[in-house]
This record gives sequence, structure tokens and C-alpha cells, in this order.
Amino acid sequence: MLKLEHIKKSYDKTTILKDISLTIGDGEIVSILGPSGSGKTTLLNMILGITEIDEGQLYLDDKDLTNTPMEERGFNIVFQDYALFPNLNAYENIIYGLRNKPNVSTMEEVDELIELLELREHLTKKIDQLSGGQKQRVALARTMVMKPKILLLDEPLSALDGVIKESIKERIKTIARDYHLTTIIVTHDPEEALTLSDRVLIINEGQISQYAKPEEIIQEPKNKFVRDFILNQLEIKKNNIYSLFHTEMETAVAYQVV
Amino acid sequence: MKKSKNIELKIIFIGILLFFLTFFLLPLLSVIQKSVVDSEGVTLSHFAEVLQGGSFLQALGNSLLISAFSAVVTTVLAFILAYSIQYTNMNGTLKKFIRTATILPMFLPTITYGFAIIYSFGKEGLLTKLFGRQLFHLYGFNGLLLGYVIYTLPISFMLLQNTMHYIDKKFTVVSRIMGDSVIRCFFTSVVRPMLGTFAASFIQCFFLCFTDFGIPASVGGKFEVVAGVLYNEMLGSIPDFNNGAVVAIIMLLPSVVSITMLKILEKYNIRYNKVSEIELKKSKLRDMGFSVLSIVILTCILSVFAVIFVIPFVEEWPYRTTFTMAHIRQVLSDSALLSVYGNSIYVSILTAVIGSAVVYGAALITARSTLSVKCKQIIEGIALVTNTIPGMVLGIAFMLSFKGTPIQNGFIIIIVCNLVHFFSTPYLMMKSSLEKMNVSWETTARLMGDSWFKTIVRVVTPNAYTTILEIFSYYFVNAMVTISAIIFIAGAKTMVITTKIKELQYYNKFNDVFVLSLLILLTNIVVKGMIQFLANRKSNNKTKKEES
Repeated sequence: MLKLEHIKKSYDKTTILKDISLTIGDGEIVSILGPSGSGKTTLLNMILGITEIDEGQLYLDDKDLTNTPMEERGFNIVFQDYALFPNLNAYENIIYGLRNKPNVSTMEEVDELIELLELREHLTKKIDQLSGGQKQRVALARTMVMKPKILLLDEPLSALDGVIKESIKERIKTIARDYHLTTIIVTHDPEEALTLSDRVLIINEGQISQYAKPEEIIQEPKNKFVRDFILNQLEIKKNNIYSLFHTEMETAVAYQVV
Repeated sequence: MKKSKNIELKIIFIGILLFFLTFFLLPLLSVIQKSVVDSEGVTLSHFAEVLQGGSFLQALGNSLLISAFSAVVTTVLAFILAYSIQYTNMNGTLKKFIRTATILPMFLPTITYGFAIIYSFGKEGLLTKLFGRQLFHLYGFNGLLLGYVIYTLPISFMLLQNTMHYIDKKFTVVSRIMGDSVIRCFFTSVVRPMLGTFAASFIQCFFLCFTDFGIPASVGGKFEVVAGVLYNEMLGSIPDFNNGAVVAIIMLLPSVVSITMLKILEKYNIRYNKVSEIELKKSKLRDMGFSVLSIVILTCILSVFAVIFVIPFVEEWPYRTTFTMAHIRQVLSDSALLSVYGNSIYVSILTAVIGSAVVYGAALITARSTLSVKCKQIIEGIALVTNTIPGMVLGIAFMLSFKGTPIQNGFIIIIVCNLVHFFSTPYLMMKSSLEKMNVSWETTARLMGDSWFKTIVRVVTPNAYTTILEIFSYYFVNAMVTISAIIFIAGAKTMVITTKIKELQYYNKFNDVFVLSLLILLTNIVVKGMIQFLANRKSNNKTKKEES
């Protein structure tokens, strides 16, 4: 269980985050959702350990990690632009960490990941020969090889288009479920956050607006911000889709009634 | 946790700082001190003496005039060549030839240009013979102009070509659709975006001409320039170090102004969001015209160098012109000359190796570290300031401040001097290459269990490989051809080819001069070729970009 208590952060007197407290259960997928400048990436970086925590405490299973250096926390991240090493091919990227920690994953486990992420046929490719979705999967595999205690994903879907987006979403869910892995995702897209995660943390102007399950957010938006920005956006999208599928929708509903 | 994170980079930073304090700041201070101190204390009498002797002001005026004039001519010629490549449909082979031939002079020391000009246009020159009469009086203004133009054309060409390459060619289409005339279209879509670069090219060429020593040393004649005065004050028949220091400081002023202006101009560069290639309008006339112009320009330049390939292979120019290998054999069997060649290679390789390492370290600090902004500014400042110091001034500074120290007559002083002299350009190359790399690599690698050093070895360096090779060859070639700084610090045992050429001039041994120049040229071409081969082998998988 990951626990944040009264976390604060400011840069040069500008407060980025004020008093963030929350807990994330084991194996949960949590999305941090907010507009740009809301402090969501700062929060992710503080959990990861690149950014120092000004005030407050960070616990993992009641162990205080507030001042533990990044590399000793045992968390790992997939960056938005993947940060794959172009001098190595896909496979060499995946097993990069094994050079330093040979026993962290067995070869069978690496193989399993490659299979799960359907990377078998791309292993010998250079990084710049891979598509966006393939790069995302290689980066995910590289991180998973390290068996992180918590997996952090920074805008994992923003660089991908349409269909690929949906398939990566499923992939992330599968991994979290199969490996019982706590996963924290930063995103600015409400649809992504609400369809991907067990719980959504909505932050605005450095504060928690609402932290709840997706259905709770839809049914009981806690404040004006959640209503105006999150629900409203989804509403518009929903209406657009409905109007596109107008006839079919009606028939579908009709069938359901019958 | 933050404290221990950057320990390696901090050590590198301190090392670089100490290096430049010792081998840059201190020597410069000693020049300043020499210029304002005499046996009685601080004085301006040296300045008064130099400025009141009318000959110096004359030389200063000459320098400013010839440098400005050469810079204009060079920029115009370079523009024609660059335009031919970027805006015409001329034959691809011809374009390739223009690219190669234009930068060829960079592989030779400037002092060789001078002698090549003499042997081409002098009374007994090769071209004089071909034309049956002397084309112009070469010592002085004309000779200097020709030499300076050849010297600066490659640099100007690369600058202009680069900017032109990044001009969005779609603007030409827009301008034409809007109904602009041909002239107007040319001005809005080519000249206007190039204005900043024209100015930059002018200033850069001006700076190079103003501070060059090799060309006036050979064809200056009675047309005195500042570089010549400086040499005579320091190493002439009646050396006067105090007055020399004064001249050095005065030489510094236009240099500092030039570089400051370049820095300011950088801000005015137009940046296009996107470079789009378009099909150029078909025009046989334009293509023909620019082909002819380019060929004429390059023929003029290459014909000057033709003598280097002729003189050493004939018995006695111009009287007995039968082919012989005797001069080559003689140089190659002359152990003294061969050892000079060996010295040059030794100095150049060490300069390239150590230089690349220092540049890499410095660029890592500015481009890929979390060290404080102040540290980064210091490194940037070093790069900027070393760029403004003319080689001659640096050489004199070294000569004055390391006299009597153990390094005075060693190779190390020459290597260090080259390293400082040519620091700026490779540093900027390296920095921009490192900055382009993904910012999250270090974090990612650290999460995978790498130490900082391991990340550099496993990830950053392999991806910087091509640039490292480029800066290696930059240092190597420049160390091979430079003369302005090291003429003051090369000792009898540490003679390199360029300083030897200066000495051979004194004994009128021009066969040897040209054979040695050929050796420099061949060595540079071989090294460049090898580097190119290594770089290509590395990047052969990547899509090759059309870029020079």
C-alpha cells in the first residue's frame, strides 16, 4: 500500500502542490488526472523520487521512503517519450537492466513479457524502425523486467493514435492484473483516466479535487471543477458519438428493451 | 541524496575550470600586465609609443580595410556557390564537386596559400607562364585579398549553405502565387531570410582575415598589417615584448567586437518551424549560369593550388621543367624534415584525443547535468571568450607566461595551446548534439541500476559517437594547419610542419615547403576519410540525410 501524507511542493515560492494525502491499494490502477499546470507530473516525479519532497511523508507498506533515493525505492517509470536507447535494438533495450541486476528476472520471465506484449518479431529491430505503439511496448517490457514495486506511466497514450491507444490500454490493464502491480498513470484526458483505472485522482491547482472510483465521479461529482471540466468534456464527447451513431443507438436500445 | 548525485560531474567541472584558469586566464593577464608595466611600475608609455609611431596606425588601417574588403568578396562568392547548390537543378555530380572543392583549402595551412599565390602569379609563376604575362601585382593588397578570400571561402560557404538549407522553400511558392516579380521573390524568399547570415559571414571572415598570420607572412610585401607588426615586435630582429603586448591587446579589440556582434546577430536569425522541400522551377538558363559561375570561381581557387602539385615534381622551376621525384625523395630521406612531420602528427593526435575529452566533459556539464546554472554559465563563458582570442594573441600569452617553466620547450604547451585555441567550435557541436538526446535517459538508466559513469559509457557515448568523431577530426585538422599561435611557442625540438615552413621560407627552400604542404594535405584527407568511414559505418542503418 502506497501512502502519501500532507505532501507539499513549491518552486521559487510558487506553490505547485499543497497538502496532498491519499492511499493507493496494492494492485490498483490509479490515474492522476488534471489540466496542464495542475501539478500532476510533479506529483508523479515525487513518487518516483526525481523530485524532492518539501514537506510531508511517503510510505510504502508503512516504510518511510520520503528521503530514500530514487534508485533504492524500487519503483520504475515509462516516460512519455519512452527514452529508449537508440544505440541498442529492441531486445537489448528490454534486457538493459539485467546487466546490473542479473537475477531480477529469469530468462523465462523475460520471454513471458515478450510474448505478452507481442514483441517477438520486433526484437532485432532498431528503435527508429519501431512504430509508436511498438516503442511503448518495448519501454513497458524494459521496465517490467526490473519487477518494479510500483509502475509509473507518464502520459502513456498521448503519443499514440486511435486503435493502438485502445490496445495499449488493455495491455496495461492485463499487466496490472497479471502481476498484481500497483500502477500510477498521469494523464490529461478524462476519457482515458476513467476507462483505464480503478480509481481516479483529480487534481486542480495543486489540490485534490476528487479521489474516487470512475462511476462515483460520474454519479457524484464533488465540485464545480469536476463537473465543468471533467464531466462536461465527457458529455460533449458522448453526445458527438451518439449523434454519429444516432440510428444504430436507437435500434440497440430498442433491442435491449426487448 | 542530492549531494552525492553529481560528484563525477563536479570533479570534471573543477578540472575544466582549473585548466582554463591556468592555460587561458593567467596567460592573458600576463599579456595585459606586459603592456602596462615597465621597470618603474604601471604606465601607459608602451601604448603611447606604439600609437605615436605612425606605422602602426597605418598597419591597423590597412588591416581593417583589407579584412573588410576580403570579407565582402568572400561572402558574395560563397553566396553564389551556396545558391547553386540549394536553388538550382544543376547536375548532382557538379554539386558534389562544389561542396568538396570549396572546403579543400581548409586542409592546408594559410602560409601555404601565400606561397602558392607567389608561385602562380609571380614573375615566374605557373599562371603567369600560361597567360604569357603577370596578371596583377601580387605582393600587398592583391595577394592578401586573394589569400584571404581562399582562406575564408570555406567557412562562409558552410555558414550560408547551412542557413539556406533550412529556409522553408515553400515561401518561394507563396511569393510566386502572390504575384511577386522574380526579383522581388528572390529578395523576400532568399535574401531577406539570409540577412543575418550575411552579416555573420562578413563578421566571421573579417575576424579570420584580421587575425591571420600565414597569409601576410608570405604575400604581405610592403603592405603592413597588424599581424605582421605583432610578429616583428615579438620575434623580429629587435624584439620588444612590451610593445608587442600592446599590439596584441589592440588586435584583441576588433576581435572582441566581432564576436560580440555575432552573438547578438544569433538572436535575429529567422527560424522556420519546418523545412519543406519543393520542386524548383525549371530553368535551364539559371542552372547553366550558376554552373558556369561556380566552375569559374572554383577553377580560380584550384588553379592557385595547382602549383603545389607541380613545383615539387619538376627539376627546377621555372628553368628546367622535366618531371622528377627527386624533391619528394629528398624530403622523405631528410630525417630532420621527417621528424618535423612526426611532430605534427604527434601534436595533432594528442590535441584531438585530449581536446575531444575536454570538450566532451564540458558539454556533458552544460547539456546533461543538473549542476547549477552558474556552473553552466561559466563553461559557456569559457567557450565564448576563447573564441574571441586570436591565435596570435594566445600564442604570445603562452610565450610570455610559460617562459622558464618546465613546459616551455615541450610538446605539452603546443597541445594545450591548440586545445584552448580551438575549444569553442567543437564544444558547441558537442553540446548541441547532447542536448538533442532524450532528457530521460539518465533517469531511466539509473532506475535500471546504472551508475552515472555507466550510463555515459553504455548510453550517452554510443549515441554521441558520430559527433565525437567529428570533433576529433576538427581538432586534428586544425592542429595540423595552424600556425598563428604556435609560431611563438614551438621550440627547436618541437618544430611542427607549419612553423618549419616559416623557417624554410627564410632559406628560400620552396620545394620543401610544397612537399611538406602536400604531406599536410594528404594526411588531412586521409584522416578525414577514415573518420567519415567510421561515422558512416556506424550510421549506415539510419536513413541518410541529404546534408553536407
